[in-house]
Amino acid sequence: MMELKKIQRTCIIDDDPIFIYGTRRIMKEVDFCDNILVFNNGQDAIDGLKELIAKGEDLPEVLFLDLNMPIMNGWEFLEDFVKIPNPDGKKVIIYIISSSVDPRDLERIRNYKMVNNYILKPLSPQDLVNVLQDVA
Amino acid sequence: METLPINFLIKDSPASVAIVDFNMRFISHSKTWLEEFANGHSSIIGRSYYDVIPDIPEELKSIHKECLEGRPDANTGFKLIHPNGSVQWLKWKINAWREEDESIGGLIIVQEDITEEKRSQELLMKAKSVARIGGWEVDLISNRVYWTQVTREIHEVSEDYVPNLEEGINFYKQGKSRDTITFLVSRAMKDGTPWDTELQIVTTKGKELWVRAKGEAEIINGKCIRIYGTFQDIDERKRAILEYQKVSDRLAIATGAAKIGIWDYNVVDNILVWDDNMYDLYGVAKKDFIGAFEAWEACVHPDDKDKSLKELDMALAGVKEFNTEFRVVLSDGEIKHIKAKSTVKRDEEGNPLRMIGANWDITKLKNTQLELLRSQESFEGAFENSAVGMAIVGLDGKWIQVNKSLCKSLGYRKSELLKLTFQDITHPDDLDIDLKLLRKLIDGKRKSYQIEKRYFHKKGGIVSAVLTVTAVKNIKGELSHFISQVVDISSRIEVQDKLTKLLDVTSEQNDSLLNFAHIVSHNLRSHSSNLSMLTGFLNKEENEEEQRNLMGMLLDASESLNETVLHLNDVVQVKAGVLEEMIPVNLLGTIKDVKKNLGVLLREKKARCSIQVPTTLNIVGIPAYLDSIFLNLFTNSIKYSSPERELCLKITASKTNDTIQVSFSDNGLGIDLEKHGDKLFGMYKTFHKHKDAKGIGLFITKNQIEAMNGRITVESKVGIGTTFKIFFQVN
Repeated sequence: MMELKKIQRTCIIDDDPIFIYGTRRIMKEVDFCDNILVFNNGQDAIDGLKELIAKGEDLPEVLFLDLNMPIMNGWEFLEDFVKIPNPDGKKVIIYIISSSVDPRDLERIRNYKMVNNYILKPLSPQDLVNVLQDVA
Repeated sequence: METLPINFLIKDSPASVAIVDFNMRFISHSKTWLEEFANGHSSIIGRSYYDVIPDIPEELKSIHKECLEGRPDANTGFKLIHPNGSVQWLKWKINAWREEDESIGGLIIVQEDITEEKRSQELLMKAKSVARIGGWEVDLISNRVYWTQVTREIHEVSEDYVPNLEEGINFYKQGKSRDTITFLVSRAMKDGTPWDTELQIVTTKGKELWVRAKGEAEIINGKCIRIYGTFQDIDERKRAILEYQKVSDRLAIATGAAKIGIWDYNVVDNILVWDDNMYDLYGVAKKDFIGAFEAWEACVHPDDKDKSLKELDMALAGVKEFNTEFRVVLSDGEIKHIKAKSTVKRDEEGNPLRMIGANWDITKLKNTQLELLRSQESFEGAFENSAVGMAIVGLDGKWIQVNKSLCKSLGYRKSELLKLTFQDITHPDDLDIDLKLLRKLIDGKRKSYQIEKRYFHKKGGIVSAVLTVTAVKNIKGELSHFISQVVDISSRIEVQDKLTKLLDVTSEQNDSLLNFAHIVSHNLRSHSSNLSMLTGFLNKEENEEEQRNLMGMLLDASESLNETVLHLNDVVQVKAGVLEEMIPVNLLGTIKDVKKNLGVLLREKKARCSIQVPTTLNIVGIPAYLDSIFLNLFTNSIKYSSPERELCLKITASKTNDTIQVSFSDNGLGIDLEKHGDKLFGMYKTFHKHKDAKGIGLFITKNQIEAMNGRITVESKVGIGTTFKIFFQVN
């Protein structure tokens, strides 16, 4: 396996604690990223990301987003996320990561330009390696 | 003048004689003069003629003057018109008498009042003139012809016209008239046969006139010396007679052609006379006719006999005219309908003498009438009993006749509908097109039209119908009315609506089934993916503590899977529960039971509950569902109560005609409906960060309510509270 550049900062938005545990573990395994932000729903993520900008910190390079969440789901997050003013203009690469095999969901994802790709749960180490390759 | 003896003589003269002097003063007069011309004076001697008779016209005065100059005068008739308008006729002879010296001394006047005589003469003349009777005379010796004034007038010749015999005859119209008069005059001259005939003359002005010519001859010693006679204008009368003749000929032809039989019944002697048409009408041979009332009676149809005889008696009694119809039976069995009309002639005391009347055959008319009646009856029958709404509509839009079906469709009684126009009950949006098409019918541009339109039912609802309107013309070809056929398609449209609704429900259910399938796969997949991930880790993990940690998570994941399966099972049961039997459930009882079961939780929250539900209110539903619904609403309110205030619940219920409405309010956190309204009742939707929020409760609640044909709505404000309204159908 060739050496790939590590991600500076990543973000997981999901309400399932087991999934978060698993993802952290795989990220460690493939040396994906050391700085991992976790939010349990869309609203928490929007609030947290806004806080980062306010502090003048960098936004995460890669964002993993679940669709089915309480309070604010993945779709709603996407609607609100594009409205956040991004001062340094750096692109945030978004991956939707869900257990849904609903073709309507896949169709809908295609309509969001900022979504890079769709990863079907369960997440595997290879998925993250692919992400690293994409980003590079 | 030796007056005395003369005076004496004059005094007793039977004629009215008077002697006046040169100044017209009376010297002497006869007694009769005093009686006739003294004008009421007892003595006139020495008085002036003109004083005694004051209104002597100038004409007579100048005559007197001429006589005094020596010219005697005589007059056989002088018409004197007095100022008061009365007429006097005088006849006189006036001579002058002379003095011894031969000079004229005065006048001898013999005067007579001939007014009476003149008047009767004048009357006669007038009468002759009015009757247009003129006289004529031919003196055969001198061959001179004399015509009176009227005769000349009749011939339209001038007053001084004097014809000879030949010219006189030539006035008669050439042909029959002239030949006749020539023959009659010759015969009269030969043997003295008088004539009296009616012939035509042609006047000088070319006018043809009917005249009555009467004449006779005077024969002396076998020789005719004179013919004379009268001549009367009878043109008017003759023409009237000829006209009458023509008319009666025409009538005879007409009655013959129209087969109108004329009869004449002598009531007194029982003699019945028929014309030829009558024999044809009654099919009786002329030789078999007995010429009495019984001949007619025998022909009348037995069923009509009583009525006809009664009517005949009434006519004779003068109660009612004999103007009737009856049937006659011919000898070959044929039945004819006869129309009869007659008048009764009476004597001075009013007793009937004769009846004259007419009969004619109305069989064809009767049959046509019967056919018409039959077709009318069948139309009316079809009209009245038609399943299609039918109406006869006047040109002004008024219903003239409506049938049962139409009344039923529109909800009106017949009498109510007949007071309205179709405009009154037509939906305003459909009126224009209807009137526009009707206009085309009236203008003759179309014979009928068909539209789909809406009427208003008496109760206000809408009646959808297919209307067909046909124009009907009267015998003159003028538009008389419309026939409207109204096919009520409301039920068809209702069925269509129901079908559409059913289709909606089906497609909704299809959608929710599809959703359900995805939800199942999604939720099961999320757990299975966790399980496979965790087992993968466990497989590689060598650290024991980490292994225990993984095992714990594995247990959680499998429990979550189990819980999800149970939830899905609940949902499937709701969907399947539709088949369960619905029974009446007391609403208040259900709410109270649920509240009791949640007693501990409510007390913990220090919740206050206000329940205003009538005890009698029952909902037809599935008891377990109702329990579940209220349990869910209660627990939702407890779960999402505001930490800032004590929980207050308010439950009310009311019943309208066909709905029971239950309102369930709390003063909890509230939900942002603008954001979440569309998925509030969706599966696995949660809107609060609550450890127990699973997103399945309202999904199941909604499905349970819908399974019982109800529906649920929500009103909510963040920070204020939430109100759920549930509507149950009464039936």
